[in-house]
Formats: sequence, C-alpha cells, structure tokens
Amino acid sequence: MNIFRPPVPETTPYKDPTPLPENVPKVTELGTTSGPLKSASFFIGAHCKEFNEDFMLCKEENKDPEHCLKEGRRVTRCAADLINKLRENCTKEFEEHWSCLEYNNQEFYPCRKPERALNKCVFEKLGLTKTIPGTPEGKTPIHEVENPIFKRQQK
Amino acid sequence: MPPPGGFEAIRYKRNLPLRGPGGVAILAGVTAISAFGFYRLGQGNLEQRELQREKVWSRLHLVPLLVAEGDRDAYRRDQAALAREKEIMKDVKDWEAGKSVYNNSRYRSRSAIAVI
Repeated sequence: MNIFRPPVPETTPYKDPTPLPENVPKVTELGTTSGPLKSASFFIGAHCKEFNEDFMLCKEENKDPEHCLKEGRRVTRCAADLINKLRENCTKEFEEHWSCLEYNNQEFYPCRKPERALNKCVFEKLGLTKTIPGTPEGKTPIHEVENPIFKRQQK
Repeated sequence: MPPPGGFEAIRYKRNLPLRGPGGVAILAGVTAISAFGFYRLGQGNLEQRELQREKVWSRLHLVPLLVAEGDRDAYRRDQAALAREKEIMKDVKDWEAGKSVYNNSRYRSRSAIAVI
C-alpha cells in the first residue's frame, strides 16, 4: 500500500526499505480486488463472523493500530481461507458473478442469475448462506425475489 | 312565394355525433392507470430500500478485513517513523522519541507523514 514506485521498471526486485518489525508475525495480504471481494462479502461475513466481531470489539477498545494486530491477522487469514475455498469449490460460478459485478458498476441487482448459481454452489459445497440482516419479517429477501421491479433492462 | 308543399323544415337541432368514450370513462381510466403507477412506485421504493440494505451490509462485512490491512500498514509506518526520529535525534539529550504532545494516552493518528 501507498509505496512510491518509480515509473521506470527496476532491474532488481523491489525491497521495502521500512518493513514490518521482525517480532510481528507475517501474514500474506489478501490482494483481492473490489469485484471478487464484493461478490464474496456475504460469505466472508458468514464464514468469519467470530473473527470479524472480535476484531471490531478490539478496535472499539482501543483505536491504536498496534492494539489489534493479532486479531487483524486472524481476520485476514480467515478471509484468505474463504477466498481460496471459493476458488477451489465454485471456480466458475464465483468468476462469473464477480465479472458480472464488474460489468455492472458493482451493483447486485443486475447480477441475480450468476448470484443464484454462486449461492447454490456455496451452500452445497461450503454450507454458507447469504442472509441480509434487517430484512422485514415475512418478506422475501431481496436477492431471492423472482420478479423484481429493479432489474437489468437489457435482456 | 313558397314552393309548393312549403319550405323544408329548418334543421336547428345540434348535430354532435358520439365520439369516443365519455368523460367519466376517461377519468376512470386515467385514475386507474395512475393508481397502478403509484402502486408500482411504492413497491419500487420498498425494493430500493432493500437493495440499499444489501449494499450496506456487503460493505459492512468487508470493513474488518480492510481495517486490519490498513492497520498493519499504519503500524509499519509508525515504527519506521519512530526509527527515523530516534536516528535523527540521537544526539539531543533527554529527547523521548515518539512521545505524544498530549498528556493523554488516547491514540491519535499522525497529523503529518514523511514521504520517502
């Protein structure tokens, strides 16, 4: 993040002049772009609920970045684990859904078809469901409405 | 002089043939169409609220992940800045590197960063 890189390609591999201190365990950053992240967001929320809540409670305790490094590493590892699982088990569905999101301004509503395929696959293989908290009782969640008013105009 | 048999009867009655549906029918039709439109609008507003909720929650689920990544970077920068400060101020007596200017332990992010 936010590292200056000269516009001319370097001949030697890049070496961070100010790396993290040695006593902090290393964790591979996720490196996933916004489309796949948005596509996987509800599954990350379902799969990593405990780690995420733990981290946010820790941040509530103290805003110092040093305070929650351990919890943060757990959050990142859990998300990376989920993304890897998605890519192993539902490669095609996942890829179709996030490329649809990228073609549609990262809106969910034009991409219901690939989304349903992905949700089905993830439920069968990983047992995770997409639930939107706060949906009014007795109403179909918006991602399961068969004939919505807002949908893709172009067929 | 009048012609034999008298003049033709003068046609004085209005000649307005019935054209199209009456006013009441048109008004009823307009009302029905508008009512349907407003109903759809209402349904659409409810649906848009749900779409918004979906969008917000998809972002909320990603917050811990992004904050964790940003925190690691912030920590790395803080440590690097501290090391630089120590190196620069090593000859100054009684200098505490990284000491807050506030008499309070609450964390404040740096107000200025060095670009190296």
